[in-house]
Amino acid sequence: MLKPVHKIAGGVAIAANAVGTFVVIALIAVVNYDIVARSVFNKPFLGAVEVVQFSMVLIVFLQLPDVVRVGRLTRSDGFLGLMTRRRPPVGRALSRAIDALSCVFMVIVAIAIWPEFVEMWESRDFFGVPGVFTAPWWPVKLVIFLSACLCAIHFALHVITGPRVTAPDEQDTLA
Amino acid sequence: MSPVEIGLLSIVAIVVLIYLGVYIPIALGVVSFVAIWIMRDNIDLSFALLKIAIGDSAMEYTFATIPLFTFMGLIVSKAGLGADIYSVMNQGFRRITGGIGMATVGANAVFAAVTGSSIASASVFSKMSVPEMLRHRYNPRFAVGVVAGSSVLGMIIPPSAMLIIYSFVAEQSVGEMFLAGVVPGILLAVAYVVAIWLMGRFTPAFVGGEIVEEATLMPWPEIAAKTLPILALIVVVLGGIYTGWTTPVEAGAAGSLLGIVIAALRGRINARSLWETVLETGHITAAILFLITAASMYARMLGIAGLPNELQAFLSAGQFDFFWVMVILVVLMLFLGTILDTASIILIVVPLFLPLIESMGLSLVWFGIVAVVAAEIGLLTPPLGLSCFVIKATLDDDRISLKDVFLGALPFAGVMLIVLILLIRFPALSLAILN
Amino acid sequence: QETIKAVVIDGYPARALWVKEFTNFFIPEVDKRLAETGNYKMEWQEAYGGTIVKPKGVLEGVKLGLGDIGIVTTIFHNSKLPSQALSAVTPFVAPDARAVAKAIDEIAKEYPAMQAEFDKQNQVYLATGVVLDTYQLFSKQPINSLKDVEGGKVAGAGMNLRYLEGIDGAAGVRGGLTDFYNMLQTGLVDHAMLWPEAAKTFKIAEVAPYMLRADLGAVNSKTVTVNKQYWNKLPDEVKGVLQEVAVLYRDHVAGLAMDRAEASRQAYVDGGGTIVEMDPAEREAWAMAMPNIAAEWAANLDAAGQPGTEMLNAYMAKLRAAGFTPVRDWAADAATN
Ligand code: NA
Ligand code: NA
Repeated sequence: MLKPVHKIAGGVAIAANAVGTFVVIALIAVVNYDIVARSVFNKPFLGAVEVVQFSMVLIVFLQLPDVVRVGRLTRSDGFLGLMTRRRPPVGRALSRAIDALSCVFMVIVAIAIWPEFVEMWESRDFFGVPGVFTAPWWPVKLVIFLSACLCAIHFALHVITGPRVTAPDEQDTLA
Repeated sequence: MSPVEIGLLSIVAIVVLIYLGVYIPIALGVVSFVAIWIMRDNIDLSFALLKIAIGDSAMEYTFATIPLFTFMGLIVSKAGLGADIYSVMNQGFRRITGGIGMATVGANAVFAAVTGSSIASASVFSKMSVPEMLRHRYNPRFAVGVVAGSSVLGMIIPPSAMLIIYSFVAEQSVGEMFLAGVVPGILLAVAYVVAIWLMGRFTPAFVGGEIVEEATLMPWPEIAAKTLPILALIVVVLGGIYTGWTTPVEAGAAGSLLGIVIAALRGRINARSLWETVLETGHITAAILFLITAASMYARMLGIAGLPNELQAFLSAGQFDFFWVMVILVVLMLFLGTILDTASIILIVVPLFLPLIESMGLSLVWFGIVAVVAAEIGLLTPPLGLSCFVIKATLDDDRISLKDVFLGALPFAGVMLIVLILLIRFPALSLAILN
Repeated sequence: QETIKAVVIDGYPARALWVKEFTNFFIPEVDKRLAETGNYKMEWQEAYGGTIVKPKGVLEGVKLGLGDIGIVTTIFHNSKLPSQALSAVTPFVAPDARAVAKAIDEIAKEYPAMQAEFDKQNQVYLATGVVLDTYQLFSKQPINSLKDVEGGKVAGAGMNLRYLEGIDGAAGVRGGLTDFYNMLQTGLVDHAMLWPEAAKTFKIAEVAPYMLRADLGAVNSKTVTVNKQYWNKLPDEVKGVLQEVAVLYRDHVAGLAMDRAEASRQAYVDGGGTIVEMDPAEREAWAMAMPNIAAEWAANLDAAGQPGTEMLNAYMAKLRAAGFTPVRDWAADAATN
């Protein structure tokens, strides 16, 4: 039963990650376009600031679920590692408790952001200066909401499956 | 319980949770959420704090320097430019124990002139110089320590995101703050080089490293071929900022593009490895910015608790003289530096001290340099030391633990503290260049 | 005696003019008036400079109750507070903070639009703050006329970027106030639009020693607001005092801004700057060459069911009555469009 959930959640996180990766490339492209447009053609792209801000949100929240999935979130787990070696049951329980706490937190984030998304969607609120450049707010809130949900699912999967045996290429937050 | 007691208790809770192994952003977020709830007996306010902190933290324009300079560092190392420059530098410093460590410091000082962020420096140089130092049999702790220590030069030598934040808080001219950062930055770099020389002399085991044999010496044309690409990159990024073609964010984007071009021309990159590089950039950016977001939530919780107001009342009631004000400042900065990010520390602490510093007739430009250097020590200290985290995350090497990075960085944090004391004692170090 | 707690928030530092005067003028004045009857006593907690919110976050902070009273910088919120742009879309009318502050504040109280916008953000409008006397054009090179700006790059922020649409080949470059020094120094831009006090604070004379006195006009950028739930729980006496003091604060801050503007222009000259008077014909040419952004603004509000055109007419009439002669009558233009 768990296997398909794992597969789907993993697949979605990897897909979001791929989109986020395109955004990094787009960020480099847009900023370079602005430099050339401004200095060579004296026609600055007035939306550059909004586009950069927008892409920062996309990069962070599209990548976050995959960061959670592979266990790259920053932590200082010297004590946890010690417990896992000396008292494996205690270590495993602690690790599960931490992932459960993290899952609850991400659910809270999702609950906090959802009404923001609904409000922005209904009011068609934008940021930027009218007549100069504007961008709608709702995609920002939607991305954060979906990201928080996906992170919560991955933390929940960590709780069920217990501490992951991290593959060497994914293991880099250990103390 | 008073709000201030809850504020103080929350600090204890965070330290305990971080030591237990809770993901740091989660620890900061959960404690802030619960603390507000208890303090105001109103869970809606906790949600409000969460909304505000998450909503605007990632949307900071200058944060775009993080993915851009991270990517530039990664692509440059993929292109083999890091290995090249270090083989040249190691040759230049071959007769000195710890020579490549000094070369790292020097290269970092130069790179600092093109980046506004210590995090970018840390990620670039952990990819470039740590593998090189390990190849030349340096002690892993020393190798990561040098990179961690010299990464802070990125925020002291202009341009610097922290100096910009300070000039905003204290209403000082950004131009003056930048000028004031030049001498302290160079002083710190020189102090590092001297410290490495002393370590090589008195604790050679901590340094490690091998002498490069005469037989491996490169001819001049090869040296040129190995240094010119990175020089071109530095000229584009540095030149872009100093001649005014680009902001730091734009310089990062231009440098990234040039990095791709150089890597492609050298045939060191294909679609797949480019994709992997971008993907890694995204991972690092997400992990760091989620942490910064959580730290900002925590700082705001302290603000709501009224901790800054209490401290201000305490400071103005105590009638402290210059010496004690500085002692309190440095101790407070070092303490907050263990668990908060640099920007949050500056935003919390600087406003508390500004009225006091001004009434004592001291220069606010000088104070900005002192505050930034003091807050930057926190990048190197556990449990939350961003530079060390970045190095650990970027390296992705089983042989080096986070503990090794912190222990390696410790001597360099000590050197920073000595330089900080010099900067406090001799304001002319920061101000002479302005007159 | 009942004690009432009030958390005041702004993302700008305590040293900023309007924040400092909130501490030194608004709060003591409220305390003084409440002490006269002795029924209520305020317990203030002031949180500035990003301790709770950033400059852009004040609106949301007050909306969500993280602060009870806030100083909202309205120019960040074109979408949520469109009617606040009234003075920004009417350049070349009044280079006087006091007159603009009074006119906007009266418009806010006579027409429902501004209060309705804040009400939607779960807060109550208290007063308008105008902290800049007028935008001027600062330059790296000697500047005498608009010709010298043609084809150049001009740093600006928000709505004032649209003032450049009337100048041939001039390109607006966006930046925050703290970036302008660097942008000018490095040559990223040739000119910058800001006001004399900011020019003094950021030592703009060092990098842009020529100021073209274009007198683009004062702009309202601050509004003091109160969280709605907090407001509804306040006793009537306290509400009354807050409203009275808000008007005094409005005039006090605008007056200080004007005094400082005078001193700042002097400091600019002392710092090596030269002030060049702009030829009235040139000013008029600039004003006429701009698109009618006021008409656009009014039409957008009208379309949203708000009295945009009426507010524009009333605003122009108020400033005319105060003795100002607009270089371009934005309202008359709007009517014929
Ligand atoms: Na730097
Ligand atoms: Na630290």
